[in-house]
Formats: sequence, structure tokens, C-alpha cells
Amino acid sequence: MHQQKTNKTVSGKRASAKGVVTSSRVKIKKESMDMGFLVSVMLLLIVGLIMVFSASYPTAYYKTGNGFSVIGKQLLWAVLGVGAMLFTSTFNYNNYKKFIGVILGGCVLLLVAVLVIGNEVNGAKRWLGYGGASFQPSEAAKIGIIIYLAYSMSNIKDKIKQFKYLVRYAVVLGGFMLLLLLEPHFSVCIIIGLTAVIMMLAAGARIRYFALAAAPVAFAGWMIAIFEPYRLKRLTIFWDPFKDRLGAGWQIIQSLYAIGSGGLFGVGFGNSRQKFMYVSEPQNDFIFAIVCEELGLIGALAILALFGFMIYRGIKIAMNAPDTFSCLLVTGIVSLVGVQAVLNIAVVTSSIPTTGIPLPFFSAGGSSLVFLMAAMGMVLNVSKYKRQPKA
Amino acid sequence: MGMEKPKRKLQIRILVIFVVFASLLSGLGIRIAYLQIIDGPKLQREALEQQTRDNVVASRRGTIYDRNGKVLAQSSTVETVTANPNEIRNSKKDADKIAEQLGAVLEMDASEIKKLLDKNTNHVTIKRKIDVELANKVRELELYGIYLQEDSKRYYPYGTFASHVIGFTGDDNQGLAGIEMVYDEQLKGVPGRVISLKNALDTDMPFQQEKYIDAQNGTNIVLTIDEVIQHFAEKHLENVFREEKVQQGAAAIVMDVETGEVLAMTTKPDFDLNNPFELVDEGEKQRVEAITNEQERATEKMNALYKMWRNKAVVDSYEPGSCFKIMTAAMALEEDIVTINTPFFCPGYKVVADRRIACANRNGHGTQNFKEGVQNSCNPVFIEVGQLVGADLFKKYYKAFGFTDITGFDLPGEAKGVFYGDNNFGIMELSTTAFGQGPKITPLQLISAVSAIANGGNLLKPFLVKELVDDEGNTLKSTEPKVVRQVISKETSDMMCSLLENVVMNGSGQNAYIKGFRLAGKTGTSEKIPRGNGKYVSSFIGFAPANDPKVACLVMLDEASNGEYYGGRIAAPVVGKIMEDILRYMKIEPQYTEEEKENLDVYVPDVKGKSTAAAKKDITAQNLTYTIVGNGETVKDQMPKAGSNMTAKSTVIVYTEENSGNLVSVPDVLNLSLTEVQARLMANKLNLNVSSAGATGSTSQRTIAIRQDPLPGTQMEAGSIVKVEFRFLDVD
Repeated sequence: MHQQKTNKTVSGKRASAKGVVTSSRVKIKKESMDMGFLVSVMLLLIVGLIMVFSASYPTAYYKTGNGFSVIGKQLLWAVLGVGAMLFTSTFNYNNYKKFIGVILGGCVLLLVAVLVIGNEVNGAKRWLGYGGASFQPSEAAKIGIIIYLAYSMSNIKDKIKQFKYLVRYAVVLGGFMLLLLLEPHFSVCIIIGLTAVIMMLAAGARIRYFALAAAPVAFAGWMIAIFEPYRLKRLTIFWDPFKDRLGAGWQIIQSLYAIGSGGLFGVGFGNSRQKFMYVSEPQNDFIFAIVCEELGLIGALAILALFGFMIYRGIKIAMNAPDTFSCLLVTGIVSLVGVQAVLNIAVVTSSIPTTGIPLPFFSAGGSSLVFLMAAMGMVLNVSKYKRQPKA
Repeated sequence: MGMEKPKRKLQIRILVIFVVFASLLSGLGIRIAYLQIIDGPKLQREALEQQTRDNVVASRRGTIYDRNGKVLAQSSTVETVTANPNEIRNSKKDADKIAEQLGAVLEMDASEIKKLLDKNTNHVTIKRKIDVELANKVRELELYGIYLQEDSKRYYPYGTFASHVIGFTGDDNQGLAGIEMVYDEQLKGVPGRVISLKNALDTDMPFQQEKYIDAQNGTNIVLTIDEVIQHFAEKHLENVFREEKVQQGAAAIVMDVETGEVLAMTTKPDFDLNNPFELVDEGEKQRVEAITNEQERATEKMNALYKMWRNKAVVDSYEPGSCFKIMTAAMALEEDIVTINTPFFCPGYKVVADRRIACANRNGHGTQNFKEGVQNSCNPVFIEVGQLVGADLFKKYYKAFGFTDITGFDLPGEAKGVFYGDNNFGIMELSTTAFGQGPKITPLQLISAVSAIANGGNLLKPFLVKELVDDEGNTLKSTEPKVVRQVISKETSDMMCSLLENVVMNGSGQNAYIKGFRLAGKTGTSEKIPRGNGKYVSSFIGFAPANDPKVACLVMLDEASNGEYYGGRIAAPVVGKIMEDILRYMKIEPQYTEEEKENLDVYVPDVKGKSTAAAKKDITAQNLTYTIVGNGETVKDQMPKAGSNMTAKSTVIVYTEENSGNLVSVPDVLNLSLTEVQARLMANKLNLNVSSAGATGSTSQRTIAIRQDPLPGTQMEAGSIVKVEFRFLDVD
């Protein structure tokens, strides 16, 4: 950990002979990347791949006759993802500041492009590109927005406490969300929204302004409940999915059956029965149900712990980050993973209404894994630059 | 310093974020634990329910045996063809082709199969219970979505035999009647299961994890029925049922008087157990089929079937008539109200409460003692005896003999009978009940009560199931004879045996007489209600041997319509014939009286090739006479042939020259007395054989020939034997 590497310039300052950079009063030391974070990421990736294989096999088998078709692609994406991580982990995070306009503009361009030339799947235009080489611009947008917010908030510093800056971000975010809702891709809006709120709170935004924003949200919910009661029904079915077994409750009941079948030790790896077309998208949004079924409570808790550990290491990196930008960047990325993991598992366990949120590292779906791994690389890159406690 | 402060705050806020995430993840961990540990078993059970396909493996239904191990009902393995139409549709296989191929093998209309395959379901039955050979042909077709399920089919090797007792099963092998119904639980066993996993598309998983739970075969049942005795009862009852054109059915029961075991039980008309839903009676069948309204026809058919399936011996109650006098006599003797010598007088009627009740003998039996009163089945005697016993005591015995309760027999629908209420049993009711008119009882109640009278006084619970046996032959449960109560003493029982033997020897039961077997019994004829409609129930109940009763037999004919209706004339001979067959089969040694020995039928000795002198000696030794034809020294031929059976003192024609085959014509002997028949046959150079029952050897003018074989006018070789059946007319 403490082995020192080649000297590099940080924050535009010259590196001293010992690899220690002094920026006004804080010493910044360049080290090797955070191994704890790296190990937890790699473990999640490997366990995720194994579970994708197990969960996807039946569906792949019945649909294409080849049980390996999903895991094959996923492995390829994982290799690309590791490559992306390696790249971003060595790509100095300060460079993102220089390209902030390109990044933000690129994201908007992609989100507009997908509305125009995107592939329509199940009534939604979310994919750009062709066949196996396609990706979701929303994945790029998540990272792009995090970089933008980290950059912008590190610039305005304490002004974040002012309401007008929050309004500014709300307008920017609202623009992005509008584009996403046009696809439509509601669940990404939730993820981006929550991640952004966490970042703003971390940066020092006053919590009462968000409470203020809660009122119109509640009003909108109330209106929906009155004018489109079927939406309310879909929204509330998670309380008791068994009251509409064959209708709205079906999907979530199948997930609960899978989890319940697992018991303490699980039915054993590869032995899930619920993955045989009972659980919808067993390799995707509901993969965690299959994990619970096959690996039991022990396995499920181990994976939760792994996520927890990863977040812990990430938070630690953020706390020791050399500057506000990198701190907020890491906080944003770790929160992104945390929000998705918590929401996904909450959906699978019928703790919140069902929305299509993938489980990071686990859910099959190529492009998201590459962007996720790239973001992990960014965290690792930041972890190389640590604020040294004052001597 | 300006940079440090906000940094520090930032760090704290980030730490709070971590704590929030950690709490959320912990909360989800608890949620998962709750789902997996607390809700787990319930969720798992429901999940398994949808994930598994549960196929039933039929258990083999138990076999029904007679008391000697002969199979009366057995199940054989067959298969049922089913299909999964959804599976065929989903796989986009050619349903038309499948239907066509299947139709060709099963000899079914392909379009009909196609109709079944077009249904939106996962299961249809195409054809039930095909034999294994045909099933294998279906298997060879290897058709997609077509399945064969093991099933079993009930087979009754004797067809109509004991049909009302054995009962039958339905399409799903469930017992619908008789023993099959009552012992359905034991017979059917526990079906096995094959549990296999299926996916949400309702097809099999690629890896098959099948779990087999073996079927438990049903228990085998050994009945008290003796196939041979049942056969005797059925044969003779069937004959009388046809000859006397019995309209409302006939029943016969044979019971072991020492145990209460039912050795035979039959109701006519019977039906084919292998085809129980087919109406046997042609008239009924045509009547039902003529009904145009479909629903009405179905209802009528069901009614007709239920009538056909009715086990008269157990389900129908009737007025027993004079057969009931047995009980009246027994209670009077038991209570020392009469002795066999108590004198009575019969003027041909008896006045009870201003009503004149007639005796069967309108001229009156005159002065007679109790024994003769029983012998004559004299109504006035029994009215008097009944009145002497008194209403209370009479009722007590009536109940003690079991006539107010069901016997608890092993067959369904047992009737309890009909008796007077406590306040309705006045002098008139008492008087008529004493000779068997008024209350109604079932044949089973009657034979149980009479068995008690025969066996020393113990009323036994009649039963039909001897043992429950497993496939290895181990007895799981066996029925022990159960004494319900002692009704009369051994002395009274012995007295009743001799009184009833006298009825058969010298009285109204003579037509049941069998030489040497000491049958005791009583006739019964009761006019059905409304009185005066000319419809009667004719019955006879007997048991033998009178000095050590073993077997009782009851025959009951409901509405004989061929002219005769007296139980003594038409039911008694049937009991005689059944009992003769049974007693010979049971190897019960005949006990002949001196008089019987004199008149015993004899076997013709083989004298062919012997010297004339030796032949004469042999023939005389057999209590026969001879006529020699020719002057030869050795016998060349004889008539009748050696081994033939004929009445004592008949004549054997011995040929010492070529037998010219000289033919004689059989004379008409009907309505002649025994003496007259013998004389007429002798005059025609023919010999006599008195066929079985009803031949007391009485030379009375009231015993006449009613049947002869061969018929009058038939040409027979001189010396041949003519079989003649006699009937005693002074009976009721």
C-alpha cells in the first residue's frame, strides 16, 4: 500500500522528490490504488458473473437452445469492463474537469440521438447501436451527471447552501430527466435523482429545501392515485402481492417464492427451480431472488456484506480524497452503486414497488457493466491520491 | 485553515451517507432473513406446488376371494391414453396427424380425437382402460404430447355370480355396490405418486428429478361365501325363478347356523358384474329405450338399474307368513306355555275381536296337539298360542330374535323391518303376527333368527367378510362369530328341531324332504298388500341335519305368477334341492331311518359277462328284481346299464341273448300318485327314479307327479329309467 510509484503532477502542482505534494496546507501523497475497494469490486464482478450464468441458463436454453448464450456475452462485456476500469484507474481524474463540456454535451447528444435513431424495444427507445454492439446512453448519462455535479459543486463551494443553486441543478437535472422520460426510462430518473440529492447533501445543501421539493412530489402522487388508480394499484401491490396472485402480484410472488425456497443454506448453486421461467428476467432485474434461492440466507447476507464493504471502502476513499471534486466524484459513484443495489434488492424482496432497476455487477446487460467498471476505475484512480493527516 | 473546516464537515456528511447505506443494507438483510426463515416454509410449499407435477399411480385394488380362495373379483393392469393439448399446440406439432395415427390404433374417429386435442387445457382423456398390448402399440407410435397412464380394470371371472353380494366398481375403480362399495377403503389401497418438476411453460425440466412414492396395493378380502354352495343356490333359484315366472324377484340365503357366516346369498334376476350398467331384463330395457326425452330416459334407466342392483335378501322386507310360526312356537315352548302334546281344536277359523280369521284348511284340522298344529301350519293354533304368550312377552321375543334391528351385516342398505308401535300392538295384531301376518322382516333377519333356533338358542350376527388378507397371504383381520344374545334354551332349540323335522317328514314341508339328510323347516305364504290381489310371497326356511344343525337355507319368491304360489309347493322343493347338494358337498353322512333304508334308491350292478345265476344273485342283493330274456348261460347285456340309479325293487332286464333293442313308449304319469306311477311304468317295462327333493316316499293320493323326464311318448329301450318329480299338495 505504501509502496511508492512514479511521481506525477497533481492539481497542476509539481511533485516533490519524495512523491509528496504540498497544496497550501495539506500534504497529498500518491500511493497505489485502494486494494480493499478493488478486491470487493472484483469479487462482486466474479460472483455476479457466476450467478448470471446460473440464472440465465434456463431462459437462454429455452429461447435460443444454447444455455451459454447470455453468459458468453456477459463474459465478453466483463472483459471490456475490466479493461475500462484499468484505463480509468490510470486516467487522472482531474482531466475530467477539462472535458466537462464535452462530457455533458456528449451525454445530451447521446440522449437526443437515442430518441431519434434508437432501437425501440418493448415500446421504449433506450438503446443505441446495433445488436450486440449497442449500449444505453442513460448509463453514460449517470456517470456524466455525477462528474458534472462534482465539478460544479466543488466550484461553487458554500454557495450550495443557497436555494438558487439548487434550482440551477434542478433545471439541469430536469432537462436530463425529461430526455430520459421521453425514451421512456423512469427508473434511471429515480437513480439519477437520488444520487444527485445525496451528492448535493454531501456538498452541504440544506436539507429543508429538499423537504420543500417533497410537497409537489406528494401532490403529484396524490393526483396519480385519483386519476389513474391502476397505477396506484401497481404501486401498492407490493404490500400484499398475494391478493392478486395471477395479475399484478404474479411477478413479485415468483420472486418471493424463489427467496423463500432458499431458506438458510439455499437449494445449492445451479439448483434454482424458480429460474425456469417462473421468475421473469431471472438473469436481470430479479437475479438477486435466484441468488437467495440458490445460496440461501448465508449467501444473500454475504453479498449484502460485500456491497457494504465496497461502499465502506468507497466512502473511505472519498473521505481521504485530495480535493472536493474527487471527494464528491467518489461519493457520487459509490452512491450510484449503493442506490441501485438497495433499490434492486428492495424491489426483489417486495419492500418497495416494482421498478426495473438492475443490480450492479449481477444483472446481465453489457453496456451498463462497462460503464460501471469504468466508474470503479475512477474511484480507484482517486484512491491513489490521499490526503495525508498533518504531521 | 480556510480549506480544512468545510472538508471536515464534508467528511462527516459522507460518513452519514455511509451509515444510511449500511442501515438500508442491514434492513434488507433482515427482510431477506424474514422471508427465508419465517415465511420460508410457506413460500417454499407454494413454490413447490407450482413447480411440481403430481401424477397418480393407481394402486392395485384388492382381490375378493370366496372362503376357499377362489377369485371372485380381480383387477388387471390396463392403461389409459391421455394427452396434453397445450403442449402439442405450443410445440407446433401437427395435431391432425397425431389424431389420425392415434385413431387408427385405438379404432376411434380421428376427428373426435382432434376435437379433444383442440381443447385449451393440459389434460384430456382420450381412451380409458385399454389393455397393455394395445397400449404398447400406442407407445410405439412415439406421439408427441400423448401419454399412457397405468390404470386398473376390475374383472369378475364368474360374471353374474353373486352379483348383488360382490358389487362392482366405477370408471375410477371406486366401489359402487356390494362388498366393493362397503369395503372400498380397504380394497382400493393407497395410490402412489410420481412427482416430477416442471417449468413455468408446464413442460418437463431438462434435468429430471422424479420422486416415486410406491402405490400401496389394496387389501384382499376373503368372503364367507363358498363358491360351490353359492353356485347350488344360484342354479336352483334361477330355475324356480324362470319356471314359476317370479315377477318381483327371488332371494336365497345359505347360512352356517353355528357361526352366522353367510355361505351363499343370491338375488334373482341378477346382472353381469362385468357390465353392470346394462339392463338385463329385455322388457325393462325396451321400455327405457322407448322413452324419447333424453333426461327422462336417463332417470328411468338409473331407476331401473337401481332396482336391478337391489339385493333383495338384505334390502327388502316382507311379511314372512307361516315361516314366522317357528318363532311363535319357540317362545311358547321356552316359556312353558305349551308342550308338544297340548291339545288344540281347529274348526277352520278363529274369531278374534269379532273378526273371523280363516285357517288354510277351511274344513278345519279338528282336534290336534301342538306338534300336529305345527306340522299342519294351523293358523287357529298359532293365534291361540300367541294369545297365550301375551303381547308383552311376544314383543320381548320379537325383539330378542332381532326383528326390530338391522343385523349389522356387511352389505349396504340393510332394512330394519316394520313392526307395530307400542300402542298399536293389540289383540288383533298379536294374533296375526303369531302366524306371520302384519309385520315385515328381511330374509336376512329371518334366517338369522331361525339359525338361533337351530343352533341351541344363540342369535348370531350374520357376516359376509371372513378375513382381510395382504398380498403375502397374512391375515390382517378376521371376523369372529359374534353371539348377539341367547334367545331360547338348548332344550327348546332341540325341541324345535324335532318339531320342524316333523314338518318336513310328515307335514306341510314335505316337498323339501331329502332322504337321509334330516331336513327341518317351515313353509310360508303371505298375501301381499292389498289383500285379495292374488299376489303372494312364497317362502321356505329349512336347516339340516335336524339332530345337529349345520346349515340353514331360506328361499323367498316374490310374486310367483305361473299358477302355484304356496311356499310349500314352490319354495320348499328349491330348499330341498339346494340342501341336498350342499350336504353332499359338505360330506355330511346321511342318516337313514329304517323305512328310508327299505326304499333307498339303488345302483344297478354290473352283471355283463357273468353267469346267469351270479347275475340273479347280484341283482337281488341290491334290492332289485330281474327279468331274464333268452336262455343263455352268460349275460350278454343288461338294461339299465350298470351304475344307474333307480328306486328299490325296480326291475333289471338281463339279456342272455343279443339285445334286440326293443323300444317302448314312455307313458304320461303326471298327476299320478307314487304307487300309480310305479305301476304304470312297470306296465311299460320302464323303471322309476324319483328325482331328489320332495320325495318322502309317501304313497298318499295328495302326492302327485308334477314333472317327468323323458316326456310322454318318447321311445326308450325297455328297462330304461324315467325320472319323475313329485309334489305334496297339502301345504301352505
